[in-house]
Amino acid sequence: MSRERDAVLRRVTTTAREIRLRVLDMVYTVQSGHIGGSFSEAEILAALYNHILNIRPDDPKWDKRDRFVLSKGHACPALYAALALRGYYDASHLNTLRRFGSILQGHPVIKTPGIDMTSGSLGMGFPIAVGMAIESHLIGKSNFAVYTLLGDGEINEGLVWEAAQTANKYRLGNIVAIVDRNYVQNDGFSDEIMPIEPIDKKFEAFGWRVWKIDGHNVEEVIDALEAARDYGDGPACIVAYTVKGKGVSFMENDRYWHGKAPNREQYEQAKAELEGAAP
Amino acid sequence: MNGDAAQLRKAQNPTRRVFSEEMLAYGTEDPHFIVMEADIGYSTFSYLFGDAFPQRYFNVGIAELGMFATAAGIASTGRTVVCGSYGVFITMRAIEAIRSFICYPNLPVKILSSHGGITAAIDGVTHQATEDIANMATIPNMTVLAPCDSASAAAAFRLAMQTPGPVFTRLMRDPLYEVHSGAASFAVGGSVCVRSGADVTILSYGDIVIQAIRAAEQLAGERIEAEVIDLYSIKPLDRRAVIDSVRKTGACVVAENHQRRNGLGYEVASILLQEAPVPFAALGLDDTFAESGAYDLLLDKYGLSADHIAENARRVVHHKNR
Ligand SMILES: Cc1ncc(C[n+]2csc(CCOP(=O)(O)OP(=O)(O)O)c2C)c(N)n1
Repeated sequence: MSRERDAVLRRVTTTAREIRLRVLDMVYTVQSGHIGGSFSEAEILAALYNHILNIRPDDPKWDKRDRFVLSKGHACPALYAALALRGYYDASHLNTLRRFGSILQGHPVIKTPGIDMTSGSLGMGFPIAVGMAIESHLIGKSNFAVYTLLGDGEINEGLVWEAAQTANKYRLGNIVAIVDRNYVQNDGFSDEIMPIEPIDKKFEAFGWRVWKIDGHNVEEVIDALEAARDYGDGPACIVAYTVKGKGVSFMENDRYWHGKAPNREQYEQAKAELEGAAP
Repeated sequence: MNGDAAQLRKAQNPTRRVFSEEMLAYGTEDPHFIVMEADIGYSTFSYLFGDAFPQRYFNVGIAELGMFATAAGIASTGRTVVCGSYGVFITMRAIEAIRSFICYPNLPVKILSSHGGITAAIDGVTHQATEDIANMATIPNMTVLAPCDSASAAAAFRLAMQTPGPVFTRLMRDPLYEVHSGAASFAVGGSVCVRSGADVTILSYGDIVIQAIRAAEQLAGERIEAEVIDLYSIKPLDRRAVIDSVRKTGACVVAENHQRRNGLGYEVASILLQEAPVPFAALGLDDTFAESGAYDLLLDKYGLSADHIAENARRVVHHKNR
């Protein structure tokens, strides 16, 4: 492996770890916010913001930038941490999450530096991303790429499949949809709430090229994102198999940690576990 | 009752939970109705019913529009369906199914709508239902209820079940105050006068009733006697109570956790213009989106706290006396 590649892997790995620590701090400090789905997406966001996206943090509205839409908008604590770590705003904002007057709203809003679009109502972010890709690919032809991240519960929404059809009809070669397949949604295990498999075959049947990866393996995440970005013949989907609450033993695979804040004792234990994880 | 707001107890549970507990109790009394949910059963508390009656509980995943259209199919056979979700998703994403396939055929679908108004405060605008009353009350055949405490929330469930056709009940995320005494009784088209007074009428519903009561107490210290009415039945509205009170006091303030436009204030204004024109103020979100933040801070910023209500009451009373 080249030294350059090695550096990328290391940077993404450390960032993912740092994102989790920041998220834990934020949600503990404000006693509100979504930890479970933030932890499952940490490697994906770290890879996007530290290697994949063509962006200029000092010029957040640069018109040729790649776009990212967090369709599972509730998991924005991790996105806010990723943006701060990438230099979009000072990290001191993080612990104002959800507070009165904060730039970091309960769900993403377009006016926050680095946020390309408002989201939080599930199912909407994906068609919005398709709209951006249509603009880039067919109308303005500025050829930026569009990335969007969806929850495996979120894809229950019929609207997601309408957008999947549209992306196929126009053979959008500049959109990459990542499904955070963490097996848990609000009310319990995803497959019990609404059986959604086979996710890969469904996207394939809708005309998408699909990659399946371990969403916590940084190398696989980066390889898949690069392959999907470079594919170009049509819409690309990455099904990332992940663990909700990843990194903290008592939070993993438990619907309770979808949207609950830890108490002091839980915070200390979670922090120790995250810090103990190999950087 | 002219009670003291400081004496009013904070409710132990939010109205969303009270409503669902009543639904659970009713489950044994009426074995026929079913409940539908869209993956927030642990937030609407519909899971209580689901745990007790798994055969009568249908969680369709995160699919609000589909849920309401499916409910219409079930209800078309005559079966009563209770559907739960958050106010924004119900009254915006699913509104066409509700209008054309539940209200138009007048089907027995009872809607448990949580996180009304800006009570989803810290979640921000995508989760704040600030146009829900307007959207629902505008649809023919729909009954709209908005309880302000545990007694009225439990009553709302029963009223919904006993009323033919669709009923929308606006419930809240956070615990409110126990405004009503055991003696209060509730009816579709009813209201409760929670404080009587001769100088100004303050009309409200839901979480703002407590603010209205506190405003009335402030005003009492200035010898302005405010009458406070809880209009928990937003549609049909207790027109008689509104007109009688306003004819007596000669001034009116309406305050609601909702857009001013097309809310209760607009409805009352149109009644009063015909029946009893008086100095009038309507408080609510003034054609604006809110934001994330603590509930109390938002109420203050958007002009819905007791102080704002009192200030507007003073103004209309002054205007009347000129
Ligand atoms: C349209 C809509 N319905 C319901 C919700 C409430 N809600 C927030 S998160 C969530 C569960 C999401 O599960 P999933 O998509 O699997 O996300 P993850 O597990 O990655 O957090 C629900 C139902 C919402 N935000 N939007």
